[in-house]
Amino acid sequence: MVIPSLLGQPTERNEKQHNIFAYVSVEDTRETTNPRKKKQPKPKPKPLHGRICKCNLTESRLAGGVTLAEMKVPQVITISPSGKYFGIRKHHKLLIWKVPDVESERMVMRKITMHHTKKMTVLAFHPTQRIVAAGDVTGRILIWRRFGDKTFAISDGLVDGNLMSSEEERPGVRDNDDADSCTTWHWHPSQVNVLNFSSDGAYLYSGGQEGVLVVWQLDTGKKKFLPRIGSPLLYFTYSPDPSLSSMSCADNQIHLLKMPSMEILKSISGIKLPCSVPEGYEALCRGIAFDQSAGLVALHTGNYCIQFYSLLDDRGISEVQVCERNHQPGDDVTVVVTLVALSQDGSMMSTAELKIAEEGIGGLVCLKFWASGSQNKEFSLSTVIYEPHRDAGISTVAFHPTRRLAVSSSYGGDFKVWICHDEFQQKDPMLQNSGWSCHAVGSYKKKAMTAAAFSADGSVLAVAAETLITLWDPDENVLVAVIGETLTPIMSLSFVGKSEYLVATSRGSKPQLSVWSMSKLSASWSYMLQIEAVATAVDASSFAVLALLPESPKCKELNGTVFQGRDGVILLFNATDPVPVASWSVRKAKGGFLAFLQVNPSSIQEYISDGKPPQTLLAYLNADHEYVLFDPYGEETHELSVIHREDLLASEESGQYGYASIYGELPEFQLKKNQATWTPSAPSEKPWETIFNGSSHNLPPLTKLCSAFLESLLEKRTAVVSD
Amino acid sequence: MAEELQPKTTLGKSFPVKPKLKPKARTLSQTPESKYWSSFKTQQIQNLISSINSISFSQIPPHLFAAAHSASLTLFSSQTLSQHSVISSFKDVVSCSSFRSDGALLAASDLSGLIQVFDVKTRTPLRRLRSHSRPVHFVQYPFLDKLHVVSGGDDGIVKYWDVSSENVVLDLFGHKDYVRCGDCSPVNAEMFVTGSYDHTVKLWDVRVENSKSVMEVNHGKPIEDVMFLPSGGLAATAGGNSVKIWDLIGGGKLLYSMESHNKTVTSVCLGRFGNESGEEAMQYRILSVALDGYMKVFDYVNMKVTHSMRFPAPLMSVAFSPDGMTRVIGTSNGSIFAGRKKRENVESGLVNFWSLGRVEEPQKRLLRPTYFRYFQRGQIEKPSESDFLVVRPKKLKLGEHDKLLKKFRHKEALVCVLSGKNPENVVAVMEELVARRKLLKCVSNLDNEELGLLLSFLQKHSTIPRYSGLLMGLMKKVLEMRAEDIKASDILKSHIRNLKRSVEEEIRIQQSLQEIQGIISPLLRIAGRK
Repeated sequence: MVIPSLLGQPTERNEKQHNIFAYVSVEDTRETTNPRKKKQPKPKPKPLHGRICKCNLTESRLAGGVTLAEMKVPQVITISPSGKYFGIRKHHKLLIWKVPDVESERMVMRKITMHHTKKMTVLAFHPTQRIVAAGDVTGRILIWRRFGDKTFAISDGLVDGNLMSSEEERPGVRDNDDADSCTTWHWHPSQVNVLNFSSDGAYLYSGGQEGVLVVWQLDTGKKKFLPRIGSPLLYFTYSPDPSLSSMSCADNQIHLLKMPSMEILKSISGIKLPCSVPEGYEALCRGIAFDQSAGLVALHTGNYCIQFYSLLDDRGISEVQVCERNHQPGDDVTVVVTLVALSQDGSMMSTAELKIAEEGIGGLVCLKFWASGSQNKEFSLSTVIYEPHRDAGISTVAFHPTRRLAVSSSYGGDFKVWICHDEFQQKDPMLQNSGWSCHAVGSYKKKAMTAAAFSADGSVLAVAAETLITLWDPDENVLVAVIGETLTPIMSLSFVGKSEYLVATSRGSKPQLSVWSMSKLSASWSYMLQIEAVATAVDASSFAVLALLPESPKCKELNGTVFQGRDGVILLFNATDPVPVASWSVRKAKGGFLAFLQVNPSSIQEYISDGKPPQTLLAYLNADHEYVLFDPYGEETHELSVIHREDLLASEESGQYGYASIYGELPEFQLKKNQATWTPSAPSEKPWETIFNGSSHNLPPLTKLCSAFLESLLEKRTAVVSD
Repeated sequence: MAEELQPKTTLGKSFPVKPKLKPKARTLSQTPESKYWSSFKTQQIQNLISSINSISFSQIPPHLFAAAHSASLTLFSSQTLSQHSVISSFKDVVSCSSFRSDGALLAASDLSGLIQVFDVKTRTPLRRLRSHSRPVHFVQYPFLDKLHVVSGGDDGIVKYWDVSSENVVLDLFGHKDYVRCGDCSPVNAEMFVTGSYDHTVKLWDVRVENSKSVMEVNHGKPIEDVMFLPSGGLAATAGGNSVKIWDLIGGGKLLYSMESHNKTVTSVCLGRFGNESGEEAMQYRILSVALDGYMKVFDYVNMKVTHSMRFPAPLMSVAFSPDGMTRVIGTSNGSIFAGRKKRENVESGLVNFWSLGRVEEPQKRLLRPTYFRYFQRGQIEKPSESDFLVVRPKKLKLGEHDKLLKKFRHKEALVCVLSGKNPENVVAVMEELVARRKLLKCVSNLDNEELGLLLSFLQKHSTIPRYSGLLMGLMKKVLEMRAEDIKASDILKSHIRNLKRSVEEEIRIQQSLQEIQGIISPLLRIAGRK
């Protein structure tokens, strides 16, 4: 929707009060119900859903009968900064209208059309001159100068004497398009997503799939680049302050740019979106880890980084470059970070990366250990191990709960226990270099080792050898026991807190969730469930699983009615009891993750209304990296999603002192904008928080409030149905 | 402040192609201690006859040292390590020598059982002490005692002599076998230890009436050398291939047994580590030498071998000068390895001393427009502390191949590194090309000359274990893809011939390695069973 008169000169509006008109692009869904619509697009095979309408805002109704254009899918209307023109792109064409000087309902709008041979993706108007630029799917940028000389000339006072330019003197202009000249710039190798003129009209900013911001000097066509942004650009805006602008990227990040030099002043990152994994390697990638005590999630991103994201605070903490490679967003993925594991205290991290071979040569598996210096999660590389299990892929890396010990298991049939050397050499000043080295190797009948886990006290190491579970003494490297077996290879193993139970899941044709008792060395109970993720709390005897609903047609029927399109269930079990304690149904469960987070009571106390904060929260992260936190044990489900937002903004402003002290205060506008487009994951409002605001004598009686409060909670729980 | 002005972001960073990391040695190649011990500049003194049975230092600067070999005793200057004089008035092989605490006299024993006392300056025998019936292997002046001498012989008797009268003051019985070594207490003139082939070390005190040993400890092997540690409360014994530390005050308790030598330890002595003026206090170490040719430095505080040096002959004796500047090791084949530390501190002190005298500074030359520096005045001014320093972002150094890779000129990049010298870079670029799915394309685009470069590189490096994983696969592909071109060119054919040769050689190596593995694996299996 655009409202031209808002952008127009304010003097006009002072003269007399006239109606404000808006032009809206709508999707027409009334096709079948509205008889008036029916008669128009009858002969066409595809109904035209998108329409451009004019709307009288003062009287809040559609201007009758004025449909400016119709197209198959609704398009975004772009308006020129001066508010005189607006346009849309329609396949290979640009449609541009001129906004009449004096608006009325039945005004006939003048329209011109620009033709091109490729599908247009974006268009932009020059702020002062009659120049329009458009980008297409092949990466070309077309610039039409002095468009509409003929059509708009009569009413436009700006037109000067050069109107008589003949047909031959219009270089690059197709057919009978109404423009003086058309220039094509081709630098972008792929689709142009971002096109924007600078506020003074001297430059044109463009960007696209390849993650490079290009600044074109409009008169000469000279260009400057801001390369290696790392992900496709989506939007670009400039602020009233000409030295500042911002752009947003496909990896959920916003960058503030200092304009003439194109320096990145600050980046605000949301949770990174899942990145693509090449065919056939999906099973290898389990690239997510949780730091339960700090409430962090570590997930790998497209540009070979590990992002640490605080689920409690809903903000990015840091990024660690795992693999020093230049990342091009468009390239096919040949290097993948397949695994990330965090130690229980969060001070150590291990990552595994895989370089995919080209026709059988040059493949490489690489295991890296990282150590963080302090609390801020800035990890530094400690040890690199090339090909830890020859050329076999790594299935799991797990850390010992207390000591500096880790285990990596591989599909090649062995597992290795790694030990960090500063464990016993810390005192000796002469041996400065600490590092991880192999402490022990184990294998069981040459079977692929598919999962591994340490028990809560670290005395037992469980390694899954396909369908069996082998138990080892990690110090002596002695096989203690073998228990089994499951129907299909085990995908994950985890000990349930400090209890004696071990949860194993397997996928495939006969999926299974099985719980094994360590004292009896036998299966305790099991379900035939397709398990996507298992979460165990450190010191509780319960665990949660994320199960996919089966996809048989009968179940689908059931799905439609009961689960309303939700494809997964979170089940909370007590390890001793096969009957689930609680269950919730969720969407986008395939590829989702679960984790228990320990909550520091002081940090969230003020946000909980009933005064008793939960000890642990369950975090559910779905396939699109949207997440929700809730108290699994609470009577009613609290959704604690975005907690520290206000605090965070304050801290950001304080972070800009260095800039502000030199260039003055930043415009407030910019920050607001960032806030609005921030994370898609956060439910936006918490009505129950506001209900109790105000002094007590102003509040309605508690009986009334209570129902309102509970109702608000019920409304909130759109994604959650308790059993 | 300077850092705050810089954007803290990883964006916009570009990474050059880097070779894989090499494994680092787990221990530092040079600890400060091993640096210290190897800083002795070793010099070989040859042309001595037979093995060097004993070396002893004079306590008085300039610290002469006497090396006993064959039937003569050679005195060396510890400053220049040159021969000072030879005492050859012996009838039999000289076994041991000892300087008196003032450095004026020297007692020496030989295998005939005679002990002679010489004037160091004139080299004339002043006294002859004859009482031992069998060869004498140990003679020593007690600590700060100018009148007496302790000796021990193969007759198993330890004798305490009054030198001036040539009389035996005390005969100390108790050893049941040859007495081969001993040491006098560094804190007490009346106490000493002797070690014997009957596996025992006995502590004697001449003040005790009944001439019995005060204490005895059993080493378990014939004792080759015994030594008091500086406190006088600890003693170190060498016998068999172990050196043992004993607590004498604590009743002869075994503190530690150092067993890192492979053959019999023949001699031990006390070494000093650290300079006197430095922050680190001086520490004492036990230097031990053995027939396996190793000298080991043992830290008896941490009970750890801190340094080990190998010499090309069985070692018989070791001594360390009292000033800590010279270390002398005698071998069984008549050569001496004498190491001397450079005297840095003193010389620099001297320079400082002289420079203090010069008050006036060298005059600054006036800058004139004819000087180059005239035009650079003020440009190299250092920032003062209150200045805000805006640090220029560090420029990333890109190699030629990095630049080409950035421009997606893959083949040129490959050729560029191939013509360079660094195989690591070549492999790194190849790996990057694999990641870009361009390596095989590059190979197919190489012309003959460039193909020759690639083949010679592959021939040289494809058998190196670090690269072989990638290079052997690549080699096969290259041969498959470019077979026609190789057949057509003689130069390329010769490359292939070389390659064949190196492959054959590698196969031979692998076979012999497998043989060795076959030998070792049963041993390992047996060792693992225990």
